[in-house]
Amino acid sequence: MANVINLPFNPKKPTLMHLDLNSCFATIEQQANPRLRGKPIAVAAYNSPSGCILAPSIEAKKLGIKVGFKVRDAKILCPNLIVLSPDPNKYRNIHLKFRAILEGYSSDVIPKSIDEFVLDLKDSLALKKGITEVAIEIKQRIKTEIGEWLTISVGIAPNRFLAKTAAGLHKPDGLDVIDCNSYLKIYQNLGLMDLCGIKTRNTVRLNNMGIFTVLDFYDSPIWKLKAAFKSITGYYWFLRLHGWEIDDVTIKRGSYGNSFALPKPFITSEELAPLLQKLVEKTGFRLRKAGYKCRGVHLSIVYRDFTYWHQGVSFADFLFDSKDIYKRIFRLLLKCPFQKPVRSLAVSVFNLEKNTNTQISLLEDLIVKESLVKAVDCINEKWGDFIITPATMLGTGNIMPDRISFGGIKALEEIIT
Amino acid sequence: MIQKIDAPISVNLIYDHKRRSVYPKYILWEGKNYQVTKIGLHHTYRLGKTLYHVFSVDTPTLFFRLVMNTDNLHWSVEEIADGECN
Repeated sequence: MANVINLPFNPKKPTLMHLDLNSCFATIEQQANPRLRGKPIAVAAYNSPSGCILAPSIEAKKLGIKVGFKVRDAKILCPNLIVLSPDPNKYRNIHLKFRAILEGYSSDVIPKSIDEFVLDLKDSLALKKGITEVAIEIKQRIKTEIGEWLTISVGIAPNRFLAKTAAGLHKPDGLDVIDCNSYLKIYQNLGLMDLCGIKTRNTVRLNNMGIFTVLDFYDSPIWKLKAAFKSITGYYWFLRLHGWEIDDVTIKRGSYGNSFALPKPFITSEELAPLLQKLVEKTGFRLRKAGYKCRGVHLSIVYRDFTYWHQGVSFADFLFDSKDIYKRIFRLLLKCPFQKPVRSLAVSVFNLEKNTNTQISLLEDLIVKESLVKAVDCINEKWGDFIITPATMLGTGNIMPDRISFGGIKALEEIIT
Repeated sequence: MIQKIDAPISVNLIYDHKRRSVYPKYILWEGKNYQVTKIGLHHTYRLGKTLYHVFSVDTPTLFFRLVMNTDNLHWSVEEIADGECN
């Protein structure tokens, strides 16, 4: 511990690069349609007054429009705002093209979200050119090989956290390095809340220990940080700020789930059942495609008054058929004590296990059932989703469009594989 | 204004073997010929096993989103825009 207490800033040459596609969805739309370039546009979940803005363009951001605004509020700030619906296929294509370029430099490419990658050049020959030169080359290749309107911000540092911080210093189109030569100058100009993971509550925790600036944070001893966070987290923050790697972890997939914000305020279980069935069909298909079965289901409901109810259940037997998953989740829905207008529904399955061998049951022929489910999945895959569906789903039509989740990267496995 | 539609359209597609590139050059839409001046983006997606190629293209007067079904090689137009607010 004595050595750790005196740990200096990591002196090694930075090899990690964090790359962030600026205003991703909006910029891609401007790339596709040149007539939208230079104009305030926003991609919103729904093109209705209460639709939530997912990505404002750089021009819209300059007018004060932010992610999470409602369309109606954004239109007050900018009456000429052009609002577009999301086009997930377009964004996935760009993600894959972006990834292909990065894989030319290193085999260690980690997607952090649909618009963010971490590139580790530690064992790469490309590092001989110089990491800043590689970053400039990648920026240029994105413009020539994917689209001239696309810009990325690049951060270079000895660890993932500082690389992400560096990528956020100058947006759009930035390129910044945080290393043992530059960290003090950069920390001087940062506020605590500029650090990813430090928001109001953590700021209060730090303030209570007399830490008010990033430099205070950096200079604080481990005991003080542990006391501020009341956990080992303080030690992790010490390492992060000193440029040592602590975030190089791969999180194993623990669940599959789908959610949906309802366009109408349904109340009864009869009204909610078709939507629930469709969510379960989507989740079940993804579960089976990834080769898993589950031993737990979870349902959560957010109501129009922003109250929340959720319940999960685990069981002894493994489920893979959407019909069985639906039965368990519908039972949960019937247990729900509230009868209020629903804002959103979310289902998930957990306690996953690879579907290698099917345990034969005395009560039903699971082998036959598995073959039938596989056959239906094959048909749905060949002819498009929901060609064969349970009758409960009748009437749901196209009301549950394809979406890309923000932040989570596990869903990206499904588009890469 | 952005208008979402789904209608068949005639497209003149060029394959340049030297540059190894494929791009729509002319569009015939509602009796009028449009020369493609810019390819904004080319991307693909699948519906079931059917692969669709999407070309987002600009002409001197309008933007078109053109989609080719690779099963039957038929083209359709899914979006027309003039770049103004709806």
